[in-house]
Amino acid sequence: MVRFRLYFNKDKETAYLNEMVGKGYAMKNFFAGFYLFERCRPGEYIYQVDIGEAMFQVSGDYREFMQDMGVEIVCTWGLWVLLRKKAAEGPFVLYTDVESNIRHYERIRRMFKTAAILEIIFAAVNLFGVIAGGSTTTAALPAFFCFLLTALAVCFVREIARVDGILEELRGRIGKEQPKECWRGGRRPSLFLAVGLLVNGITYLMPAVEESSRMEFPYGFVKGCLQGVALVFFVIGIVNTMRSGR
Amino acid sequence: MERHTPLTEALFYILLSVHRPSHGYGIIQKVEELTEGRVVLGPGTLYGAIQTMSAKGWIRIYSEETDSRKKKEYIITEAGRHVFKEEKKRLMELLRNAEEMEEGTW
Repeated sequence: MVRFRLYFNKDKETAYLNEMVGKGYAMKNFFAGFYLFERCRPGEYIYQVDIGEAMFQVSGDYREFMQDMGVEIVCTWGLWVLLRKKAAEGPFVLYTDVESNIRHYERIRRMFKTAAILEIIFAAVNLFGVIAGGSTTTAALPAFFCFLLTALAVCFVREIARVDGILEELRGRIGKEQPKECWRGGRRPSLFLAVGLLVNGITYLMPAVEESSRMEFPYGFVKGCLQGVALVFFVIGIVNTMRSGR
Repeated sequence: MERHTPLTEALFYILLSVHRPSHGYGIIQKVEELTEGRVVLGPGTLYGAIQTMSAKGWIRIYSEETDSRKKKEYIITEAGRHVFKEEKKRLMELLRNAEEMEEGTW
């Protein structure tokens, strides 16, 4: 059985995988959002998601260590490492103290930060394409990608803010200060920002109104509406971001 | 020199366990036994601690191969013993002061 899911939140992903085990489906492989499940006895395994040190692989040390612990490395994807253990062999929690949890979430944060920076760089490259493109037709595609990548960057920054919330709580438990550069007080960028950027990006894919004057109405109207909606989303996004948190 | 103490509870108990050669699972069992089930180390926590302490030279691999089943055993080093002793001294000071306060000699 194959299911499609996109998770940025590894805790939610873990919960989903364990929920599926409860229904008698054990995750066997993962590819770009597609989870392959096999039948298993309900509750046979406990799944956990770890963040590795290198892309798409784990060190021999790690593999050997987990094997000795009775933990099976099901698959890796990016920095994600999907693990499982037979439930009959007892509880399976990867990180059991505050300090190692902090290090774990700091690694997750670093991963999202790298991703966000990369998206911003790619968006800037496309922005250059828009400026260099000149005419509206040649600039349409880079403009779309510029908005799409910026929207993705917003999603990653949102994840950074979410992880910072977890880190703030963990650090608080051992009396550690949240570093200056981190999000504090549960504030995080609104998803409306990303949606607004994306919708605006999509309008660039629509041919310019002048060129398709024969379908002036309702085509031009629809495009105008979409741009309006994008702007509204963006404004709501800014307001929600400012108002988020405790 | 970098300050090593106070150690986290996990690091302290792992260092204590590897005074005798132990493999990963043995460390988890030993710590669980010593704390009567209060401290149960997760594999991620233990792996991270072993990596950190190996890098700092507090522990080293004792034996790579025993029989056909390859299970790494770890043992404390001189540097590790030193850190452990320092931490023990610190903990004893805490305890001594607490006891003196309770006895009223403080």
